[in-house]
Amino acid sequence: MTFRLLQPDSLGDALAMLAENPDAAMPIAGGTDLLSEIRDGTAAVDVLVSLEGIADGGLRGITAAAGGGRRIGALTTIADIAAHNGIRRDYAALAEAAGGLATPQVRNLGTLGGNLNQRPRCWYYRHPLTVCLKRGGDRCYALAGVGKYLCVTGGDRCFIVHPSDTAVALSALGAAVGIAGASGAVRTVPIADYFTGPGVDVMRENILQPGELLTEITLPPPASGQRSVYVKARERESGDFALVSVAASVAVSDGRVTQAAIVLGGVAPTPYRAAGAAEYLLGRDAGAVDAAEAGARALHDPRPLSDNAYKVPLAANLVRRAVSAALAQGANDD
Amino acid sequence: MTTATDTYSAATAAPVVGRSVPRRELADKLTGAAVYSADIALPGMLHGVIVRSPYPHAAVLSVDAGPALELPGVYAAITPADVPAERLAPDLPILDTKVRFAGDEVAAVAAADIDIARRAAGLVRVEYRPLPFVTDPLAALEPGAPAIHSQGNLAIPEPLALQRGDIDAGFAAADIILEETYWLPTHSATPLEPRAALASWDAEGRLTVWKSTRGVHVDRAMLARVLGVNAGLVRVIGPNMGGGYGNKDESRLAVLAALLARQAVRPVRIEYSREEEFVAGRTRHGGRIKLRMGVTNQGDITAIHGDAVMDSGAYQASAPGVARRTGQGMLYLYRCPNVRFDARPAATNKPVSGSYRALGAPQGHFALETLVDRAAAAVGIGPLEFRRRNHVGIEGQAGPRRSPPDEIVDGQPVEGGIPFSSNGLAECLERGGAAFGWDDAGNDATLKRDDPLERYDPAGPGIKRGRGMSIMIYRGGVGSASAAGLTLLPDGRAQLSSGLIDVGEGAVTVLCQIAADALSLRYADIAPVFADTDATPDAPITAGSTATFSTGTAVLRAAEQLRERILDAAAGHLETPSGRLAIADGAVFVSDAPARRVSYAELAQSAGGALLAAEVTVTPGSPDYIVNSFGAHFCEVAVDTATGRVQVLRYVAAHDSGRIINPRTALNQVEGAISQMLGFALSEELVTDAPTGITLNGSYLEHKSPTIQDYPDIRVIFADVIDPVGPMGAKALGEVPAVGVAPAIANAIYDAIGVRFTRLPITPDRVLDALAHQTHDADSAGTDGIR
Repeated sequence: MTFRLLQPDSLGDALAMLAENPDAAMPIAGGTDLLSEIRDGTAAVDVLVSLEGIADGGLRGITAAAGGGRRIGALTTIADIAAHNGIRRDYAALAEAAGGLATPQVRNLGTLGGNLNQRPRCWYYRHPLTVCLKRGGDRCYALAGVGKYLCVTGGDRCFIVHPSDTAVALSALGAAVGIAGASGAVRTVPIADYFTGPGVDVMRENILQPGELLTEITLPPPASGQRSVYVKARERESGDFALVSVAASVAVSDGRVTQAAIVLGGVAPTPYRAAGAAEYLLGRDAGAVDAAEAGARALHDPRPLSDNAYKVPLAANLVRRAVSAALAQGANDD
Repeated sequence: MTTATDTYSAATAAPVVGRSVPRRELADKLTGAAVYSADIALPGMLHGVIVRSPYPHAAVLSVDAGPALELPGVYAAITPADVPAERLAPDLPILDTKVRFAGDEVAAVAAADIDIARRAAGLVRVEYRPLPFVTDPLAALEPGAPAIHSQGNLAIPEPLALQRGDIDAGFAAADIILEETYWLPTHSATPLEPRAALASWDAEGRLTVWKSTRGVHVDRAMLARVLGVNAGLVRVIGPNMGGGYGNKDESRLAVLAALLARQAVRPVRIEYSREEEFVAGRTRHGGRIKLRMGVTNQGDITAIHGDAVMDSGAYQASAPGVARRTGQGMLYLYRCPNVRFDARPAATNKPVSGSYRALGAPQGHFALETLVDRAAAAVGIGPLEFRRRNHVGIEGQAGPRRSPPDEIVDGQPVEGGIPFSSNGLAECLERGGAAFGWDDAGNDATLKRDDPLERYDPAGPGIKRGRGMSIMIYRGGVGSASAAGLTLLPDGRAQLSSGLIDVGEGAVTVLCQIAADALSLRYADIAPVFADTDATPDAPITAGSTATFSTGTAVLRAAEQLRERILDAAAGHLETPSGRLAIADGAVFVSDAPARRVSYAELAQSAGGALLAAEVTVTPGSPDYIVNSFGAHFCEVAVDTATGRVQVLRYVAAHDSGRIINPRTALNQVEGAISQMLGFALSEELVTDAPTGITLNGSYLEHKSPTIQDYPDIRVIFADVIDPVGPMGAKALGEVPAVGVAPAIANAIYDAIGVRFTRLPITPDRVLDALAHQTHDADSAGTDGIR
């Protein structure tokens, strides 16, 4: 595992370096995921383009965006997001997702862009000896093996779950992703269109093409009466990915739910939009919401593997809890 | 009651036994100055990397190290064809033409740096012929199972069968018979320090090995034997150890480093990666235990029968000891005339199970102590009261003594008729229960409205609390022949030499305390020399909780002899018969004229070249008593029925380990054991994939050891029962607190949600599955839980 390390000091140079080596180069920021992939032999990389020295492009920091929203540079650390007062106030689900992921060391090093683009944690994908579909192999080992942590919906030959906590929160908050191409031009896509399942391309989890860089995340201005929460079930208190997580964002106006977005992590290969739960909430008298009903409607037609059916009640329970918490928060604030 | 807050003043020679003197190596460890095996580098040293099998079971048809040796910077490579025929253990060749688990050693290379060595390892061409494999220990014992070893898959020569009395008669006398099958996971000891060894040969053919090890003398003997070298030419040194747990190391590590070094004519160091530590280290035996217990309506236990199949992994390692310790609690924890324990450890194509803190006892106690809770419920007696009535007393078990009366009693007897040297179970139950606030009549398991655990979930079933307990028995410290040497130094201090290694538990500290008091010296004036075969007397491995008891006894005897010699020397100096002399503060004085004195320093300097020294080897133990340690644990858990997550809120551990030599290190031992076994109970499992035979989760991220945020509030109580056999009244402590953790937690979970888990670890998915079945089966009440 030898590679060349390139250290550009501008976004333009970084994009040019990536473009010169479209198949062999990978950008690296915090490196908390990529370096372990290289070490384990699950990622083959000839050229690493370090983003650390890039000074331009607004890649770091959280700034005000047009219309009262926020723009977060892709190199902003997870710890900085978790601690940011504006994020904590207006986009609590994101702050909670960021503050509760991994460990303090990872949060200090890891960046938002890296968190969104990290690779799945499936044991077979990660193990040097099991070259699965996602690594260019010929089969999914999990189907006959251990599927405990894998998806209950959206699987298609491959059954990963997307591991990012922030992706779930950002999806519920209606964020958009900015992508810089080789020309330097930035295109913006809704986050719901950013992540892709194995049915699209079993070897990828998003639309980012070789040579492109995720540069920014933009959050729309919070609606009046909007509040959001993030709840995460895991097996230990720290250093653990979600078994299932839920980001719930609701807006209540004149006692009615005027906006509702419920997104689940840990159940599907991409952040899973619980349309049924949102539909149930929308337009309803906030005082008459049955959170359990929202939970029951969260997953549409789940298809668990042999050993992860527990995720179905878990998802319902967490949605129930997230909806209760989001609505109660509003009640206390008013 | 002993507390850990006793402080120690270094200025006087006041007794230090029973006081929390600081650990000898504490400052070095805290500042990072402590040297571990992998920190040592010698000039010209090479880095060794082991080539491991990707197959769980395969014949090795050929190994060609040629391409690796052609790589610049590569100095040595060994293959099954290059190694001596001597075996490390009867079933463990140095390298073999057959591999028995995915991760098994097949070759090794040494190179100038670790990157070259890793690349070279990848260039070794190994031709395998994959063989059918088996990962399930029960299947491994079936006829027609893939044969992992030529002598068969039973990992001991004969199935183990231990019995006292007649279980058929015992079950016939029972009013109620309880029966259950329990499933135990394989889990890793997860030491912070991965295994490491550095081997260096000098021009005269002397081999020196620095190694993360539980026993330098045992390693020396093994190395000398398999390498065909005189043991006098082999020196093994044990530097600081970053977590031992009895687990290091039973592996090929040291001999591979020595062979590479011999071939390269350079020192070679091998350090395991974290993944290697998980997969190629040594794990706790998983397996299946069937347990039957007969009780009368009055609550007397009439018969206990345990039957275990343990997963030994690819090699035998500690399987015989593990098998026996799995059953010991069943044979001895409760007064019962009719007991039997059968065990069959089975070889499987999985990582090797080995010695890990209390060996099989936590597995056996999980079965025993959860079934005892059921037995208590079946006869309508509370868990504590049932144990109070039935636990074995100081008189031991009924029945005739079978071993000769002058023979030292084993720490794990089968026979009756032998009393314990001390038995503080009653004190542990009483004090632990009181400290916890245990109430057999009913523990309030409902949540208070202002409970800080309650998340906002008005529509959900919420978080349920429960309480559970367990008691435990384990070896009290009687080990193999143990030695200690004490030498008066010219400055008046005393050197304490022992071949023992401090595996992180504080053995050096505790033994220095015993020596200090026995010689009337300050703690700081004991200079320890440990774990170096050239400088210390022969020692057994640091295992079986024997350091304080067995080596401590040797230290005490050596100190007694040295005192005699000091008094004799002083008698000449002071021209006074030794009978009129006394010792205090590192000096000898005339009892009725204290001004007439001579210091240890003066005596040491004027001995005329002869050392004032004593070295003693003892056979620890007693022919009259069983020496065992005991404990009682109590805990409270919260089960989040929405997430399946179990949180242990508080924990009280009461222990009888005799007199506590150092309350703080003792407290650390108990806290450490509970924290470590919390993972065994709730989250840790090393998973080997059944279809591929590959171990999937050998990492800190995926083998889910609890973090500090998961640890409960732990209160530790020592019963302070003074043992008449142990040195200064002490007994063993290192392992016994690990034994009863899982059943106490499992019993508390039952109290909380009414589910009896029979499979560890009790993870959120299992809790959620059980709760789903519970709802589903609500109509079919009548059993006391879900199988």
